[in-house]
Amino acid sequence: MMFIVLGKADVLLFDRLRVLIADTAAPLLQAVAQPVATIASGVRHIEGMFDLYRENERLREENARLLQWQDLARRLQTENAELRDLTKYTPEGAPRYISAQVIANSGGAFARNVLVSAGARDGVTRGQAAVTGEGLVGRVAEVGNRAARILLLTDLNSHIPVMLDGSRERAVMAGDNSDQPRLLYLPVNVTAKVGERIVTAGSGGIFPPGVPVGVVASVDGGIVRIEPYAELSRLEYVRVVDFGLEGVLPQNAMPLPKPARSARVVDPDAAR
Amino acid sequence: MRMVLFQRETSGFPNKLVPVLTTLLFVLVSVVPLHIPGFAVVTPAFALMAVYHWTIYRPDLLPPATVFAAGLLLDLLNGTPYVGTSSLSLLLARSVLMGQRRFFINRLFPVLWAGFLGTTAAVVAFEWALVGILHGALLGVRPFVFEAALTVASFPVGSYFLARAQRAFLMRV
Repeated sequence: MMFIVLGKADVLLFDRLRVLIADTAAPLLQAVAQPVATIASGVRHIEGMFDLYRENERLREENARLLQWQDLARRLQTENAELRDLTKYTPEGAPRYISAQVIANSGGAFARNVLVSAGARDGVTRGQAAVTGEGLVGRVAEVGNRAARILLLTDLNSHIPVMLDGSRERAVMAGDNSDQPRLLYLPVNVTAKVGERIVTAGSGGIFPPGVPVGVVASVDGGIVRIEPYAELSRLEYVRVVDFGLEGVLPQNAMPLPKPARSARVVDPDAAR
Repeated sequence: MRMVLFQRETSGFPNKLVPVLTTLLFVLVSVVPLHIPGFAVVTPAFALMAVYHWTIYRPDLLPPATVFAAGLLLDLLNGTPYVGTSSLSLLLARSVLMGQRRFFINRLFPVLWAGFLGTTAAVVAFEWALVGILHGALLGVRPFVFEAALTVASFPVGSYFLARAQRAFLMRV
């Protein structure tokens, strides 16, 4: 009991202790996680061989659809470039991706986070977004030298500013340990529709806007639940995204209001 | 054959570390991502299995201090904001089991399993209540029920491993 009280009182000490333990255990965990991941991918490989034909059909269809999107994207890109040219818009720096293997996940019923094999030496800092190809996974909560802990979207302590992609209405997505986080503080006059896309809002300075998060899964008596795009129970690799938004999260506090955007450095690599 | 070297040593110093080492191993295993399709984020509470097994068969070799340390390591690896909850619940499980252990020794496996079911239910319910109080909100019951079910369901595997380790290393110590 003493430790719990101490843990609440001296948060900093326990934060350091957690980072230290994670850092120390990282090589060991990585050594164990590697063969497990290899076996798992082997099993999936064999599974995949059984429905090659169906998979092929599906991919053919998807490819046709994606080619249309690609065409559209190219046209929009050109148009966008021209419009930017007209308005003398300064583009934001290109994000830098840091790939990391998931080496541990918290198995308990009341914490949703993963430990990844990249840390301060790889350029990971507190507050950065972690994504997979599908969408947002969470944010970096603790950073050691060679390991970092990522707080998943579904964790009890995860609060991420998001917006409805259609109406651009803002809300906060809060985890509650279930597979589907809830949407809080949605304006009363706004109704979320099932299937609506959710992206990050970028307010609060944690993430840049527009990172895909998930879709509205259910609206039940004012409680809106979101199904994340990323498959959080089967994470193997994540990408930590360095968007160059500097100095994001102060220790144990809500993010402070950011100064004006114009003060930001354009190229994150040049600044480092 | 592989144990011969250790078994000859009758003072049994390295062998006596087996309960502590297997408990630490189980703590580590419980955080390794298993990537089993359909296997949710929740994993079985392997540490509880080790504490259950050794408290019944060899409580002398898994003293409270090591149970405390295992719980602490588990919480730190799990990255929970409430460090010490696992230590507390594992220690409580140990102290309750200490009074009941004679009942379980030399019983059939189903009895042992039933005992583990009761222990897991109590420990998980305790953690649910404790974390709820610390967090200041009522927590969803589902992940906890799921964790308990998963833990009880995988008990035979853990128990088999621990029994094998006990037979291999601790027959004469």
